Amino acid sequence: MDVGFLSDTFIKLIGALPVTLEVWALSVALGAIVAAGVTFMRVSGSRPLELFARAYIFVFRGTPLLVQLFIFYYGLSSFPAVRHSLFWPFLRDAFSCAVLSLALCTAAYQSEIFRGALASVPPGQVEAARACGMSGFRLFRRVILPIALRQALPSYATEVISMTKATALVSLVTLWDVLSVALKIRNDTLVTYAPLLVAGAIYFVLNYFIARVFVFIEYRLSPHLRPRPS
Amino acid sequence: MPQAFALTVSGMRKRFGALEVLKGVSLQAREGDVISILGSSGSGKSTMLRCINLLETPDEGVVTVAGETIKMRKRGERAEPADRRQVDRIRSELGMVFQSFNLWSHLTILENLIEAPVHVQKRPKAECVAEARALLEKVGIADKWAHYPAHLSGGQQQRAAIARALAMRPKVMLFDEPTSALDPELVGEVLRVMRALAEEGRTMLVVTHEMSFARDVSSRVVFLHKGLVEAEGPPAELFGDPKSERFRQFIAKDKR
Amino acid sequence: MNWTVALGFGERGWGLALLEGALMTLLVSIAGLAIGAVFGSLVAWAKLSGARFAGAVGEAYAALFRGLPELLVIYFVYFGSSALLTGAGHALGFEGFLGVPPFAAGALAVGVISGAYQAEVFRGAFQAISRGELEAARAVGMGRGLMFRRIIAPQVLRFAIPGLGNLWQVALKDSSLISVTGLVELMRVSQVAAGSTREPFVFYVAGGILYLALTSVSDRVFEFAEARATRGMKRPGN
Repeated sequence: MDVGFLSDTFIKLIGALPVTLEVWALSVALGAIVAAGVTFMRVSGSRPLELFARAYIFVFRGTPLLVQLFIFYYGLSSFPAVRHSLFWPFLRDAFSCAVLSLALCTAAYQSEIFRGALASVPPGQVEAARACGMSGFRLFRRVILPIALRQALPSYATEVISMTKATALVSLVTLWDVLSVALKIRNDTLVTYAPLLVAGAIYFVLNYFIARVFVFIEYRLSPHLRPRPS
Repeated sequence: MPQAFALTVSGMRKRFGALEVLKGVSLQAREGDVISILGSSGSGKSTMLRCINLLETPDEGVVTVAGETIKMRKRGERAEPADRRQVDRIRSELGMVFQSFNLWSHLTILENLIEAPVHVQKRPKAECVAEARALLEKVGIADKWAHYPAHLSGGQQQRAAIARALAMRPKVMLFDEPTSALDPELVGEVLRVMRALAEEGRTMLVVTHEMSFARDVSSRVVFLHKGLVEAEGPPAELFGDPKSERFRQFIAKDKR
Repeated sequence: MNWTVALGFGERGWGLALLEGALMTLLVSIAGLAIGAVFGSLVAWAKLSGARFAGAVGEAYAALFRGLPELLVIYFVYFGSSALLTGAGHALGFEGFLGVPPFAAGALAVGVISGAYQAEVFRGAFQAISRGELEAARAVGMGRGLMFRRIIAPQVLRFAIPGLGNLWQVALKDSSLISVTGLVELMRVSQVAAGSTREPFVFYVAGGILYLALTSVSDRVFEFAEARATRGMKRPGN
């Protein structure tokens, strides 16, 4: 094992980490915003909105992310209407395109997580709040949201980690993320295992770190679930 | 200006689908009245209580709390409250205690008590905290203020729930089968607190199965049967010389 | 080119190729799920057995493949196994590059990842079996092999159906990544057709619709399987 080569590879891959992280963070955040909207539509009680939300979730969860990514990246640019619209400078940029596609995909999954969390809030506690005169946004913010958030955390952590893995797909649309650089090193040097192993290690450590952060957040938010203090 | 009645209900009707649960129930509570509402399951007693603070919406009927009538309107087939803010305000003047306590699981006991006074009634936090601690002292769980509901026994949780209702400085308190979900040995501590409240002169409506409470503590007993008031009167009269055959059968089934 | 012609089954139409791609997707996903079932049950068994070393190895395997991007695993398995094969070939005197068939590499990669998640599904399903039933089996004198075949395995499968249904959908979607190895499954066909006809939108949407068909039908199948498997079982609320 050539240590010099390994450390050189490592440095090159770490150099690409910001791209991976940016794609990840932006798509998760944007996805969360879209998901909030979709969930709102889903539980709104309005039939057309609900149907739209269900169709959205059906399509984005029923098709592979790669197909969605290619539709956005290769597919949209084939329409003259798109090329001449004011979104074009945004859509022709691989980075924005990829983030948009990933965000719309994770929004479908996040929306289901939010919906499940809302449904799991004990109705008795909501009633008690209403019986005190709480309603509307205040009821949502003081009682429903805190409880739903805590319920959602484990599934949300899984989805966030799924997203770091999903960012690897942007290597297929010309972005220089960690995986693309690893593949380039392999192509240039014909060394098969090392670049992929180092890349794998980087992703693994990243995911481990994210998982620990969520464990910490869950811990801080759930003193009510732990055994009583003596 | 003192009102004649702290709470009145007149002509209340409620149906769930094809089933008419309340067929025209009326009730008046003066200040300081402790009214026990008895009846077998299906008699509509919980429904009536929940219609008072509009957790269920009555199809017909007028509810007046401390002189203020809840405004209702018809939307198609169904009735609904006409003024949501009035509903919220009246709810904040009524304190409700639930069968399954319904304390907010993510908040400590103290936080449970001050949540509504601070955020609904907009009272200063320091004042609410001081009052909350006094109330916890009163119901006997002063040392549990920093605990979470899951760490308390059923009896302690219900006492905390009573304190939470009291923290709203309610005009009338509504109890929906407060001891039905408790283990028998924990029932006593809750009944003791309720008795103390009654002796203080609080206006209370209590849906209950606890005959001892109905007989010994309440100022009036209302017996519901199949959605109508079957018998009503002071406990001595109702229990001593029950004129209603159904009521006689009801108390005979329950030899406690 | 008119998209109806492009998607059609005529001379210049890609309709047949797309359907063949979908079939390949189905096959490679089934293979992947099956491989995953093997790995998953081994790991579940290792964890449930209580043996510390085996349990730790199982834990490590699961943690590893849950933490790596699927695309990376596919590249690694494909290039890695080809390198191994080539190396072995050289040792035996062959010259040149020996590639592992993309189907095998793809199914293995998808399987190894799926196994990491299937392990949890099987473990949970096993733990859901009532201890009393196992005791009763022992009490009537069933040996371990018989007990496994007649009592444990059928019940594990029953409880595992919802989780497996989910993982099947994941395998179907992950299989699209195998296209990078050149395997002619649905994604690859869409890609080739898109490039050849310069109609990316048409073909990627068509591919998407076919994937949607696969996932919807799978949903129904699993719903049906779950209903049948849980006939007569006590469910919460019943």
